[in-house]
Amino acid sequence: MTSGAAFSGDDPRRLLSGTRELTRQVRKTQRATWFPLLVLALVTFAAIPFRYSPHRLGTCIATGPGRVCTAYPPALLVYWPTALVLAYVVIAAFYLRRSQARGVGTRVRPYVVAGIILALAMTGSLVWTLYHPLAFTLAGRVLLPALASYSFAIGLALVVLAWAERNGALLAVALGYLAVVLVAVNFGSVSGHRGLGFPVQLVTAGSVLLLGGIGFLLAQRPWRRAA
Amino acid sequence: MTSHPANGLDDIVHQRVRLGILTIAHEARRVEFSYLRDTLGLTAGNLSQHLGVLETAGLIAIEKGYAGKRARTWVTLTKAGQAALEDEIAQLKLLISRIEPAGTSPS
Repeated sequence: MTSGAAFSGDDPRRLLSGTRELTRQVRKTQRATWFPLLVLALVTFAAIPFRYSPHRLGTCIATGPGRVCTAYPPALLVYWPTALVLAYVVIAAFYLRRSQARGVGTRVRPYVVAGIILALAMTGSLVWTLYHPLAFTLAGRVLLPALASYSFAIGLALVVLAWAERNGALLAVALGYLAVVLVAVNFGSVSGHRGLGFPVQLVTAGSVLLLGGIGFLLAQRPWRRAA
Repeated sequence: MTSHPANGLDDIVHQRVRLGILTIAHEARRVEFSYLRDTLGLTAGNLSQHLGVLETAGLIAIEKGYAGKRARTWVTLTKAGQAALEDEIAQLKLLISRIEPAGTSPS
């Protein structure tokens, strides 16, 4: 594919519009938005069985009428950071391999770094809340549990990817996904640790990622360039 | 008295193919020879000539290597190349802003 014809002439307007066209073309070649969305959908769906693993009682604090305790499935607390770090490593490897094959550099590094930092920071904050049972009840029953969730961390990292890829469509999907995560935090049971995600929340978040991934896959059609 | 923006254009950069190479290298961070050749619709010899001019001027860096058995040439933009590209774009915008009012006035 060539844009040589579009990029011709020494007229300043044509030169400038030619540079814009080339920029657009390079960005189109670099984007593989469907891949991280599908991988993260898979990671989110795969978390569901871990939700049913045995729970452990965390810390209890005496309040006026009774006690407030934290309960969590340790397997899920191990699953999320491990699966997310692995997912970001796979995504980075995919983008680098694709970059080599297509001959164009990749902008995935900020996304992968942000994703891993957010996953580890989220783990730290969740472990902290296990020892501070009142944190969520004091700071708010809806907003804080949503913000302190792995699903939210995935969405924040997607915003970074949208910025790195200069991808307006992905930014819209990422913001929509974050809104869904905030709304879905009230779905499901009210017991247990919300940050780890309840099955219905995970299905909701995973479905948004899956639909977004399929949408980008159809729009970007990577098989067409490979042919 | 201010000079005309055309005087600020760098002859090395103000050439459609070389401007195209710099634009692609800027956006891609690192770009392979064959991508430049196909995207700009050039022959390998013609592209090599333009790359030579840009490399001599210190605007790009060329790195040769192998991907398996296949020889590959990668091009990256230097800091000087980045500055030259930004300057060229600014000069082009300035030129257009000067041309457009003149174009709309009655002759």
